[in-house]
Amino acid sequence: MNDHADAGATPQPAPTAEPDAAAFDALVDALDQWVASGPEWPPARRARIEWEAVAPRLDRARRELSRILVVGVIGGTGTGKSTLVNALAGACVTVAGDEARPTTVSPVVVAAPDVDLAWLPLESMRARVVRSDAAAVANVVLVDCPDPDTQPDHAADAARPRPSDSNHNRDLLEAVLPACDVLVLVATAQKYKSWIVAREVAAFAPGRPLLFVQTHASRDPDIRVDWRRELESQGLDVPRIFRVDGVDAAARAAAGLEPDAGFRELLEAVDAELTGRAARRVRRTGAVDLAAWFVRQAGQDLAPVSGPPAELAAGVDAERRRLSNLLARTIGERLRAERAAWQRLIADDVVGRWHGGPFAGFLHVIAAIRGLWSRVRPGTGLVGRLLAGQPAGVAAGTDGSRALEDLGLAVGEIEQSRSVLAGLAQRAAIGDPLVGRARADGPRATEAAAAVVDRASRLLATGIERLVAERRSRVASPFMQWTFEALFGALLVTVLVRAGWSFFHGNLWEGRPVSGVGFIQEAIVWLVLWGLLLRWLVHAIVRAGLDRDVAALVRSAEGADLAAPLLADFAAASLTVGGWAADGERLAADAERLAAACGGPIGLGRLRRGKP
Amino acid sequence: MAERSRSAVGSFAAWSAHVADLCGAFDEVAPLAAALGAPDPSACDWHGSLFGKLRPEVSREPVLVAAVCGGTNTGKSLITNTLAGSTISRSLPEAARTLHPVASLPRGLASRIDVAALFPGFTTVAWTGADDALSMTSEHRLVWREDPTGAQPERLVLLDTPDIDGTLRENWRRAELVRDAADVVVAVLTQQKYNDAAVRDFFAAAAAAGKTVFVVFNMIDWPKQRERIAGWLGTFTAETGVSPAAVYAAPHDFAAAEAGLIALHPLPEHAADGAATGLGERLAVCDFDRIKRQAMEGALAVVLDPGHGLPAWLDAVDEAASGWRTAQALVEREGRVCVELPPVPREIVWEEVWAWLEPRRSGVDLAVSAGYRFLGRQIARAGRLVGLGLSAAERQEDFAATELEALKRALAEFVDRLDDACRRDARLAGLLGSRLAAADRTAWYADLERRHACLPLVSAGYRGFVRQELDRFAATNPATLKAIVTGLTVGSVARPVLTLALFGAGAAAVPAAAGVVHHLIDVGVTVGAPLVGEAGVAAASQGVRPLLERLFAGWSAERGRILAETIHDVVLGDAVEELGRLAAAGSRPELARVRTLLAACAAECR
Repeated sequence: MNDHADAGATPQPAPTAEPDAAAFDALVDALDQWVASGPEWPPARRARIEWEAVAPRLDRARRELSRILVVGVIGGTGTGKSTLVNALAGACVTVAGDEARPTTVSPVVVAAPDVDLAWLPLESMRARVVRSDAAAVANVVLVDCPDPDTQPDHAADAARPRPSDSNHNRDLLEAVLPACDVLVLVATAQKYKSWIVAREVAAFAPGRPLLFVQTHASRDPDIRVDWRRELESQGLDVPRIFRVDGVDAAARAAAGLEPDAGFRELLEAVDAELTGRAARRVRRTGAVDLAAWFVRQAGQDLAPVSGPPAELAAGVDAERRRLSNLLARTIGERLRAERAAWQRLIADDVVGRWHGGPFAGFLHVIAAIRGLWSRVRPGTGLVGRLLAGQPAGVAAGTDGSRALEDLGLAVGEIEQSRSVLAGLAQRAAIGDPLVGRARADGPRATEAAAAVVDRASRLLATGIERLVAERRSRVASPFMQWTFEALFGALLVTVLVRAGWSFFHGNLWEGRPVSGVGFIQEAIVWLVLWGLLLRWLVHAIVRAGLDRDVAALVRSAEGADLAAPLLADFAAASLTVGGWAADGERLAADAERLAAACGGPIGLGRLRRGKP
Repeated sequence: MAERSRSAVGSFAAWSAHVADLCGAFDEVAPLAAALGAPDPSACDWHGSLFGKLRPEVSREPVLVAAVCGGTNTGKSLITNTLAGSTISRSLPEAARTLHPVASLPRGLASRIDVAALFPGFTTVAWTGADDALSMTSEHRLVWREDPTGAQPERLVLLDTPDIDGTLRENWRRAELVRDAADVVVAVLTQQKYNDAAVRDFFAAAAAAGKTVFVVFNMIDWPKQRERIAGWLGTFTAETGVSPAAVYAAPHDFAAAEAGLIALHPLPEHAADGAATGLGERLAVCDFDRIKRQAMEGALAVVLDPGHGLPAWLDAVDEAASGWRTAQALVEREGRVCVELPPVPREIVWEEVWAWLEPRRSGVDLAVSAGYRFLGRQIARAGRLVGLGLSAAERQEDFAATELEALKRALAEFVDRLDDACRRDARLAGLLGSRLAAADRTAWYADLERRHACLPLVSAGYRGFVRQELDRFAATNPATLKAIVTGLTVGSVARPVLTLALFGAGAAAVPAAAGVVHHLIDVGVTVGAPLVGEAGVAAASQGVRPLLERLFAGWSAERGRILAETIHDVVLGDAVEELGRLAAAGSRPELARVRTLLAACAAECR
């Protein structure tokens, strides 16, 4: 018995405070922006849909802070909702009784005569308005709601028609409840564990404080202890449950008698919790609760897919590294394979700068002969073209995959990476349009390929230029040039002196016959061989350390993350989605903090805060 | 009369055999139907009638099962205790406290029948106390006890059931299982609940299954509300189709209820026979055979109902199977990838053929050929020295890299297409989606690389295949040996195009040339581009071309097979076999057998 007495007692709640209006407005604006900035991702889409229902309520709470509260009386059929409304209204304003179930087939709105109801969507609620000057409804609008439990759950079957096929009470209830700010949940010993009522409460409790009333007090046992347990198991905070006998209260009210203790408590609670300044607090805390509930729901929706975006981000890193390394390796191989092109590039540069000497002349002749050969075999691939001094960009209209293959990255490898990432994206429910397909074709792929080629060619051009410049400096000094000219010239002079000696001394002076063409041929052969030897020496000087420098260039290519544009959509998607989810977590924490700071209305129940 | 009786017995024996066979056949079909994604049969009324009523009762001593059912806190336990004559189930003020059905059996029945078989779906436990039904456990438990007084009618089994409208949905299921097993249902209604949708649905199913229903209006403000009962009953019967055998009113008396007492006032004006007989007496002296027959016929009618019974469920299974056929067709259409392998290095097939030709050629021919080959090698070497042309090893290395890349592209495209197909077909998404999304795809490519690295350019299998083909060719075309040589010389480089496709039913149109029929995924192989020097070959001999096609195609098929193996072993596992099995399920004989037995039952019933 004590238990029963305790069940109705008011627990001591934490001191309540008026919610911080500015913080609430900032939270709603932040939520609005968060939802609007949501990517094309299923959890974000669901949040947008939910927000469409929640945002107008939050907006109304901000705009209509001082408006009178609408209190919906809900419960199973036969629990005495209408009787309770009549008792509160002090007169028979709505049909009540036991003649037939359901009794209430359309909502009844009970309001004081001077209350303007223009803002209530009476038409869509299909509600009847009754004016009452009872004290209990002076500062609230009461709505006697249809029941949720008589409308069939299944659609009508033409083969088996039933009278209840025309019953739409639950639909009507669901049209009425959105307009309510507070719910009075009425139950009896038979119906306090009704599944269908619990379902409706769960759907409409977010942001709507509740009053719990056990009716039929004169007939039924006190079930408040068990009901409280049941309500708490449904995730509700239940500070207090009232126990009244609606029939008795209605009769007393109609007869102008004082209400009994149970009903008086309820009247006092309505007056204390739902009118005047309390109404403002109820609306504000309801709105804060609603905002917190919304962001919590969105967070729960995100929870199953919160890990995969991080996996995708890790996958993007791994695949980007793999592709960049592959690309750098191929570039390295090609750079090393183009030994002749390197030499030509550096030597041509040197030759271009060396003028005026016989050795320079010799080098020009060799370069001209080699030039013929390079026209036969032009540089292949991007590396070849760069080393041959040709333009390296992707020509308009070129197939992206062709450009990449030209660079040395097989399309199969790119598609492998994209296919792996597509799997990870799927796990995170990320798809079109955030990420593209695994196949590397279409304008997006061409664009990405052009970006890669551009990055690679800039990096290579700079690297090659640096290498060439460094090597050029080794042989570009006048000392070096004139040393080689002197070495080459020495043989030339020797040949000329030998020829002059032979002609002037041998022929003219001593009268020996001229040695003739044989000597000239021999001299040219030695001259060419000596020239080639010197040329080889020049090349050896410029070639020294080339492999090491090429390896350094490859390392810089590896570090440059050249392949990033090929997987840019996946990288962007993981960032966008991850960032959006992180913002959601931050907003959830803000909302919970705000909700915790503003406490709650004394004596009213509500959906429990924090994680369920 | 005796003859008619024998005929009836014979007919019942045949009918009960059909029911038993039907249940057996259904048991065989059930796993298949579940795999097809057909509606859960246990959620269907006919399933409860067939397995909860017909099967348990066709082969054992007939008993009359009477169940007291109703919403939360309507006084079911109190009424049951009153009918049983003792407290078998605790009656409490709190709602939904009876979590498990409690059965009161006539004395001696438990030793004659298997109680568990009488109530399928429940774990039956012997009664130890009135609180047994309140114990919190997730299993469907049925508590039973034999009437200690011996007053309970010999063949009457009386049950208290959990609620049918509370927040614990398990209670609904338990009540439905009891209802299905019952012949008689005592519907406990109150003025608050007689028109609740959940209550109506429950009793409508009882009426449809031919149960005999007694209605008790409990917690009546007696006699003030007596006149209301006709209206309430009218609504209830119109909604549910129940024709109550008798109606009773139990006055609201909290003190009496606390003491475990309840008065049931018969309302003869609503009884089918117009008699004011008490409920206990009616249950004791009821027309056992008629009620039993009505319950069995009702149960069978529910099973045979073309719109909601087993036939409708079989139609749903067919529809699901048809959906899987569509899904399979989609996979066959979409899961087809064209793999463009790089041109075959000529020496790969060529060398094999030369090796085969060697012993069959004359000395002069060999010497001339050797001369040409030496010359060719020297020219190739000179070309390589000046940077023109590649060595055979380099060509094969290049080929392997390009081939692996082509296979990777094909795998990526294949998976891409399957992803697409999953997006378009929910069934495929269910079957393949989780495999495609949850797998570590890096491992797929690693597997392909491993298989490719392990595959020699010319395997022993292929070598054998070449020799076999050439032997066969030589046997049928002895004069064309020279043509082979000519053909090989002038046209040896082919660009094979593999078509890799999923053929769930194994209906692959594999060209004979391929000679490869993978057990799951068939690799259809065609030589896409014409052979180089085709004209020369054709001029040499019309018969050589098909042979060359076969040789190149066979080699290509072997290359493509590693991709097929990766897809089968690593990517899809047994999903394609499962898809084939599901797509073919509609034509399975088990389904046809269920339909045949159903027809037989219907015929016997008529």
